[in-house]
Amino acid sequence: MAQHILNAVALGSVYLVFALGMALSWSTIGILNFAHGATFMFSAFTAHVVTQHAALPMPAVVLIAVAAGALIATLTQLLAFGPIMRRATDHRSAELRILIGGIGVAAIPLAIAERVTASAPFGFRGSTYQAQVFEVFGLRMTTTVLVIVVAGIGIGVGVWRWLATSRQGLALRAIGVDSETASLMGVDRSTLALGTMATSGALAGLAGALLTFQLGAISPASGDQLLIKAFAIVVLGGLGSMGGVIVGAFVLAGAETFVLAMNQGTWVDAVSFGLIFVVLLLRPQGLFGRKEVRRT
Amino acid sequence: MIDWYFSHIVLVQSTLTTLLLALSVQVPLRAGVFSFAGVGCYGIGGYIAAIGMVHYGLSTATAILLSAVVGGVVAYALGLLIQRLTGLYLAMATVAFTLIISVLVVNGGDLTGGAAGLFGALGMLDTGHLLAVAVVVVAALTFTEIGPLGRRVEAVREDPELASAMGINVARYRRATFAVSGVLGGLAGSMTVLLRSTVTPDDINFHLVVLALTIIIVGGSRSWLGALVGTVIFVWMPEVLAFVGEWEDVVYGVLVAAAAVYLPGGVTGAAVAGYRTYRRKRREAADAPPDGPPPQPVAAGVGGDS
Repeated sequence: MAQHILNAVALGSVYLVFALGMALSWSTIGILNFAHGATFMFSAFTAHVVTQHAALPMPAVVLIAVAAGALIATLTQLLAFGPIMRRATDHRSAELRILIGGIGVAAIPLAIAERVTASAPFGFRGSTYQAQVFEVFGLRMTTTVLVIVVAGIGIGVGVWRWLATSRQGLALRAIGVDSETASLMGVDRSTLALGTMATSGALAGLAGALLTFQLGAISPASGDQLLIKAFAIVVLGGLGSMGGVIVGAFVLAGAETFVLAMNQGTWVDAVSFGLIFVVLLLRPQGLFGRKEVRRT
Repeated sequence: MIDWYFSHIVLVQSTLTTLLLALSVQVPLRAGVFSFAGVGCYGIGGYIAAIGMVHYGLSTATAILLSAVVGGVVAYALGLLIQRLTGLYLAMATVAFTLIISVLVVNGGDLTGGAAGLFGALGMLDTGHLLAVAVVVVAALTFTEIGPLGRRVEAVREDPELASAMGINVARYRRATFAVSGVLGGLAGSMTVLLRSTVTPDDINFHLVVLALTIIIVGGSRSWLGALVGTVIFVWMPEVLAFVGEWEDVVYGVLVAAAAVYLPGGVTGAAVAGYRTYRRKRREAADAPPDGPPPQPVAAGVGGDS
C-alpha cells in the first residue's frame, strides 16, 4: 500500500512539472501549446543523443534537456505563435490557429526522433548516473525517485509562489485576465510571452529528463499521451490556479496508480479522459479556478 | 485513366470517407461549435457496422444506416449534456468523449473483440456507393451554406448574442450541429470499416482528431469545398511527397504550421480572397476611364478600338 503511494507521488511529481509548463503559458498568455508534449520528448531525446557521445553525470544530462526544451519552446514562439498572435484579428481565431500551429510544430520533432530511433524507446544509458536503491521505513526507494519528488514539489511550489507574489508574476496574471488593459499599464506582452514560453519549455525538458531517468527509457510517442493527461490536470485544478495544478497532478497520479493496483490496467487511460469529462460537466471552472468560464 | 483508377482505388475511396469525417467536424465548427464528437461517432459507427456484420449478419446498407442513426442519436445526447461549454473546453470534452470510446471498446469483451478488434466485416461497397453518399451529403450541406439558413448559421457563429436577439434559437442550432456531425461521423466510420473489413481500438485515436482538424484549417473552414480541398491535400500528400521519402512527416509539420500562420482562411479562403481582389482590380480598371479626366487623344483612340 505504502509502496503504491510512493509510486503515485513520484508519478505525480513528473506530471506536475510537465503540466505546470502547460498551465503557465495557457493561463497567462493564452497559448495552449500542443507542441508541449513534443518539446518534452525531444528534450529528452537531445540529452539521449548527447549521452551517446559523452558520459555525463545526471545534473549535466538534466541541464541539457532543460536547455533544449527552452530552446524549442522559444523557437516555437518566435516562428509560429508570435506571428499568429500578431496577425489574428480576434481571440477565437487566434486560439484555433495556435492550436493548429502547435500541432504542426509538434509533428516536426516527433518525425525526426522517430526517424533516428526507428520509433524504439530511448534512454540515458551513456550517462554515468547509477540509481542507488535504499530502504526507508521498509519502502524500496531509489535516488531517482528522491530527486524527482524533491524537484517536482520544489518547482511546483516555487512557480506557484513566484506567480502569486513577484512583480513579473503579477504582470503575467494581468495579461491572463485582460491583455489590453495590461499593456496599457506598461506590461510588455511579447517579451513576457517569450520568457513564459522559454520557462514552459524548460519545465517540459526537465519533466522529460526526470521521466526518462525514472523509467529507463521513453518512446517518441509518449509526448502525446502526456499532453492529454496534462490537460486533465489543468482542467481539474482550474485554469489560472497553479495550486490547482499541484493538487490535480497528484490526484490524477493517485487515481491512475489505484486503477493499476486494482489490476485494471486497460482502464488506466480512461481515468484522465473521464476526469476531463466529469469535471467539465459538473464544475467547468475546476476545483480552484476563477468563477467565470471564458465565453468565446 | 482506368489503370490509374485501379492503382489508386484505395486513395480515391479513402478521400471520400475522410471527406465525410472532416465534414463531421466542420459542420459544428461552421456554427461556432468547437466539437470533435463526430470523430467519436466515427468510432461508434465503425464498431456498430463491424458488430452488426460479424455478430448479427446485417446487410451492408442496414449496417451503415444503423451506424448513422446511432451516431446521430449519441452525438445529440452528448450535445444536450455539454451544451453549456464553449471554446477549447467544449473541444477537450469532446476529445475526451472520443478517446473514452477507444478505451470502452478495448474493454468490450467478445462483442468488440477487445484490443485485437473485429475482423471479417467486409461490406458490399464500391466507389460508386461512396460517391453517391458524398454527393448527397455535400448537396444537403450546400443548403446550410447559402440563402437565409446559411446567413442564420453564420450569425450563430459570429455573434450568438446578436443571433438570439434576431430571434434565432441559438441553442437549437448548436444541438442540431451535434446531431448532424454524429450522422456524418457514423457514416464515415461504418463505410471505412466495411471497406477495410477490420476495426481495432487503435483506429480511434488522437491522431484522427488532429487529422480532421488540420484538414479543415488547411483547406478552409467555411464551406464543404474547403473540407474537400483539405482532404485531397492530406490524403494524397504521402503519394506526392514520396520523393522526400522519410522526411515526409517533417514536411507535413512545416506545411501545417505555415498554413496556421499565413492562411487564416485556409487554401480556399486565400483563393476566394485572391479572386475577389482580382475582380475588384478588373472592375476598377474597367470603371476608371468613364470616371477619369477627359481622355488624351491617344487614349481615346485606344478606347475607340475596343
